[in-house]
Amino acid sequence: MAITEASPAATAPVDAELLASVTQFLALEAKLLDEGREEDWLELLDEELLYVVPIRLATEDRADEIQHGAFRIRDTKYHVRTRIQRLATRHAYSEIPPSRTLRVVGSVLVQRTADADIVEVTSALLVYRQRGIDDHFDLIPCRRNDTLRLTAQGPRLLTREVVLTEVGIATPNLGVFL
Amino acid sequence: MTITTPATSLPADVAATLDRVEQTLDKDRLPVEIFNDEAVFKAEMDQIFGTCWVFLAHESEIPKAGDFVQRRIGVDPVIVTRDGNGGVNVLSNYCRHRGTQVCQTDAGNSRFFKCPYHGWTYSNSGDLVGTPNKHGAYADHLDPKAWGLYRAPRVDSRFGLIFASLAAEGPTLDEYLGGASWMLQMVLGLHSDGMRVAGPPERYKLRSNWKTGAENFAGDAYHVGTLHYSNEEIGIAPDLRSNVEVTRLYDFGNGHSTIGFPFVELAGPFAAFWGYDPQTAAKFDLSGLDETQRHIVENEPPIVGTIFPNLSFLRSPVPVRIGEMEMAVVTTFRQWQPVGPGEMELWNWQFVWTFQDEQQALDAYVAGQFTFGSAGTFEVDDTVAWEGAPKAAKSPWMRRQGMEFNFEQAHTSPVNRDPDPTYKGPGIKRNTGFGEHNQLNFYRHWVKTLRQGAQATSVQEG
Repeated sequence: MAITEASPAATAPVDAELLASVTQFLALEAKLLDEGREEDWLELLDEELLYVVPIRLATEDRADEIQHGAFRIRDTKYHVRTRIQRLATRHAYSEIPPSRTLRVVGSVLVQRTADADIVEVTSALLVYRQRGIDDHFDLIPCRRNDTLRLTAQGPRLLTREVVLTEVGIATPNLGVFL
Repeated sequence: MTITTPATSLPADVAATLDRVEQTLDKDRLPVEIFNDEAVFKAEMDQIFGTCWVFLAHESEIPKAGDFVQRRIGVDPVIVTRDGNGGVNVLSNYCRHRGTQVCQTDAGNSRFFKCPYHGWTYSNSGDLVGTPNKHGAYADHLDPKAWGLYRAPRVDSRFGLIFASLAAEGPTLDEYLGGASWMLQMVLGLHSDGMRVAGPPERYKLRSNWKTGAENFAGDAYHVGTLHYSNEEIGIAPDLRSNVEVTRLYDFGNGHSTIGFPFVELAGPFAAFWGYDPQTAAKFDLSGLDETQRHIVENEPPIVGTIFPNLSFLRSPVPVRIGEMEMAVVTTFRQWQPVGPGEMELWNWQFVWTFQDEQQALDAYVAGQFTFGSAGTFEVDDTVAWEGAPKAAKSPWMRRQGMEFNFEQAHTSPVNRDPDPTYKGPGIKRNTGFGEHNQLNFYRHWVKTLRQGAQATSVQEG
């Protein structure tokens, strides 16, 4: 499944029920991850998940900023599951104690696709992160371009492209999910 | 154009620190203050980054005429360009007129760099080729030859790795690398098409000192069984706790060193050549290697190493999926970019073989970032462990206490750490990872270079 390309300037109106379902989904994800319930979050990921954090550069043309073939992370569900297993070993030291996080999700745009079961969603995410015994905090700003699969059990995350606002990130690692 | 050669007389406080470092190194210890000290950091920028051959880019990042990337030599921003003649130029990114940065991007393609302030314009080989209102401003009194961008006086490359030295004179790149070039040949020189970067470097800021990353990759096999044990628990890597004893240590002198791993001895013939699949390994051309290199590459190849001062690499097999036999062999080069006394940026490149098909290259890239990158299952834990030293170095109590780090394995480890008498390659080979020898020699060379610049040579005594 290809990662979502840039959305058109105007989005067609979507019905309130769909918008509510999507925003509820994004809020639930954020809450589960803030509460350290990664196993529950894993349940919200489609089996065909592709989760990508591309590398961003300072370039003259905006179109060249996001290096779509170059990435910090390119995870399938297998990779995400393995990361969560590692966090559960009690030896994943960078997350012991777990980062205290607050994920603020906003600017949610939903768009239907030719496939009735698939919607495109973009959202802004600001993660406040205080790690270990740090006396400072990190902010991880990003915009996420997602596709969600609408299932009988609710939306499931099919693809996510996390466009980091920063070129060189100020947090020392991406040991938290975005 | 003249290049200022670095000061050869160190400030008294730095000279005193180095005397203390030398004395403590003789006791296999290291004083904490060198990990967060303004004066030491400034001396490093002049004496080490101002004279040594510093890595900048891989040839594959600037393949075409006009391609450029912005990089750093220490804290100095430089533009690395491919000019119209195919030459590589390393240019200071400060306009000669008022110091404005003429290049405000990380990468691109351009024949010119035009300063946004008053419009002084430079070619991508650094020459001043344009000044607005020339007749009114300067008539014929501005010599464009004298006012080009400052250039690194020496630029050279080996196995596609581009280095520059800001010292006009000194050892050649070959002399500087010495045995490290012999080692790099085993990592990068196994195919006539070479390797390429899988993408531009990803960058992340760490509140740690650049030397800590370099030291770790120089020879720290001891931390793997503790800090990275979680990776064994979930099946990404086996036997991390026992591997230190059988790890090989290569010390090439001049601060360059490598860890090798006896894959074949421990895992059998299928693990030869780092565990590359047989079709890939069959493409390796070993004809340019000497007998010792051929043995090492097949049986106990380099897995981690550091080129003084701040370039390191890692090559290791990572399962494409846990529990399955298929391995992706990861090659990452990384640079520990000094930002301040207790702050660095980690720049991380993944490399793939130019001959690999798209899927093989993608597998290696994905596996590389999954383990060694800003979200790497190994690397995330390093980024936290390494933040301690600069804090300790700023601790009033630890300063009063005269805290010294312990490298005493160099004399306390009962494991046979004698140089292997049968080894015929450059430098010294030890057949165990115990001893912290490579780390000690990194810091010994660091002291010598701070005192003498890149002219310093150091060979481990044994």
